[in-house]
Amino acid sequence: MSALGGKAAGGEGINWQGVAVGIVIIIIALGITFAFGSEGLVIPLLGIIIGGALIGFGVHFVPVGGAPAAMGQAPGIATGVAMLAAGAGLAGLFGGAWAFSATGDFLTAVLGGAVGGGMMMAITCLMVNLTYVFAMGVPAASGKVDKDPITGYSFPEYKSQGTEGHGLPFISYVGGVVGGFIAGLGGTLIYIELLLVYSAGLPVLLEASAEAVAPLAVSLAGILAIGFFLINAVLSAYNITGTIEGPHDPKFKRVPRAIIGCAVASAFCGLISILIIVAF
Amino acid sequence: MTVKIEASSGGMPHNTIMMYGLIVSVVCIYLTYLNQLTDTQWFAFFGGIGAIAALWWGSDTIKHLCSYGLGTGVPSAGMIAFGIGAIAMVFATKFDIATPIVAIIIAGIIGAIIGYIANSIVNMNIPVMVMSMCELAIVGALTMLGFSAMCAGSFGFNNLVVAAGSGEVIMAIIPELGVIVQSGGPLFGASVIGGSVLAVIFILGAMALQHPFNACLGPNESQDRTLMLAAEVGFLSMIAVAVMSYAFIDGLSATIALVVSLLGWYYTFTQYVALSKRDAFMWLDAKPIREVGGK
Repeated sequence: MSALGGKAAGGEGINWQGVAVGIVIIIIALGITFAFGSEGLVIPLLGIIIGGALIGFGVHFVPVGGAPAAMGQAPGIATGVAMLAAGAGLAGLFGGAWAFSATGDFLTAVLGGAVGGGMMMAITCLMVNLTYVFAMGVPAASGKVDKDPITGYSFPEYKSQGTEGHGLPFISYVGGVVGGFIAGLGGTLIYIELLLVYSAGLPVLLEASAEAVAPLAVSLAGILAIGFFLINAVLSAYNITGTIEGPHDPKFKRVPRAIIGCAVASAFCGLISILIIVAF
Repeated sequence: MTVKIEASSGGMPHNTIMMYGLIVSVVCIYLTYLNQLTDTQWFAFFGGIGAIAALWWGSDTIKHLCSYGLGTGVPSAGMIAFGIGAIAMVFATKFDIATPIVAIIIAGIIGAIIGYIANSIVNMNIPVMVMSMCELAIVGALTMLGFSAMCAGSFGFNNLVVAAGSGEVIMAIIPELGVIVQSGGPLFGASVIGGSVLAVIFILGAMALQHPFNACLGPNESQDRTLMLAAEVGFLSMIAVAVMSYAFIDGLSATIALVVSLLGWYYTFTQYVALSKRDAFMWLDAKPIREVGGK
């Protein structure tokens, strides 16, 4: 057993047997929730499942470079998927939580979270590119495609020999912002669904007024939403196996697996977190 | 200056570490129940010791899992462990005395499902994935449970969501009106979960779980050094939790926890430095740079 000596084993294609088991888990989770609280709890669980799937989808847009990017040997932002996704998700979560407490409107809050996540990624991508171009002195060039799908700029002339490209091309920048937007949307959706469940259920459980329980409901929903976000982001990171350049990367084709995986994980974790308010 | 060359080979088998970690962790978390039995809060620090035992075991699990090459960084494993652990731990606190056992069972089930998803739906195909995720989820849940118990003095749901001292029933007997029962109303916002102290515990634990192997990995990695670093980072997190516990338990108990964590940190840190010196190719004791002709 050598430390980090093995090769990442993420193959292509979809394992239909695994998907079938996953769908059964989702149905069981929905069934148990229905048995405990009829439609009142099933709809929040559906929201959590959709939120988890959105996080899994959004993470694939974000250009993640990891350590090679920090050395100017691969395009993308120079850190891991989990850290980037957590950053975008938490920024979105704060934006959405503020919007929900200020307006109380579901749509405004969810879109506020999405804009928060997108903005965090936009600022990160801009500063990363400034650092790459003016501090490290590498131009933005992708190794996976010859031409930028949006601007049409060509890359091979600018790519250094022996690298997979470097910097953050325009398509990766757009991918980052779109990814932050979608992931922020999903994260905020999970937070708000949990908050609605807890602010309705905790007063009954603790035999207290809704106003007294409000801070508890907010912090419990916030902490568990962070947990959901990290679970979904890491599952997506495992699907990407390390680095991805953005929506033009061939690895982007693996995205259906992450969406199914994140939906199943969110369904079961959502079941447990909703059962917190059920008295046994 | 002497350089002692000593290679550590093999080390403790992973299953032995798992058994020690699990048993010590559960026993220590249960020892915080002495608080209820003796009606004091002196035994809160046992929660922290239990959390460190779990982290010590978890570091070895991470080493086991990450040696297969996840393709993504080592820290991601720590983050997913605590994401699952948070959900399982909050759910389990409702079961009063059975809390640690329920936390282990629920975290184990969620971890196994996440491991199955990673292996079969995301197609990771790593042989130890299901078992490792299962273990990591239990580590996450036990660590958060231990630190929360240390912070609040108990692991019951009511102690974690209601601020200490609030909600006491005030009874007044006024001859003209009879007995008046007045309640101050429980303060949910000033509790461990309501005050979001749990979020800090989440990150303190996640850092302590993901750091040791991430820092020690490489061709020269040796098990005892990694595990000593795990204990050291665990005690470092425990210091922070002990400081936070001043807000929830009485000063004497919090001071006991702080002193225990400081002593534990000092011991493990000196041990870790000694092990690092042992594993280093050569160690030169740094001295102040003297300028030529200076005094």
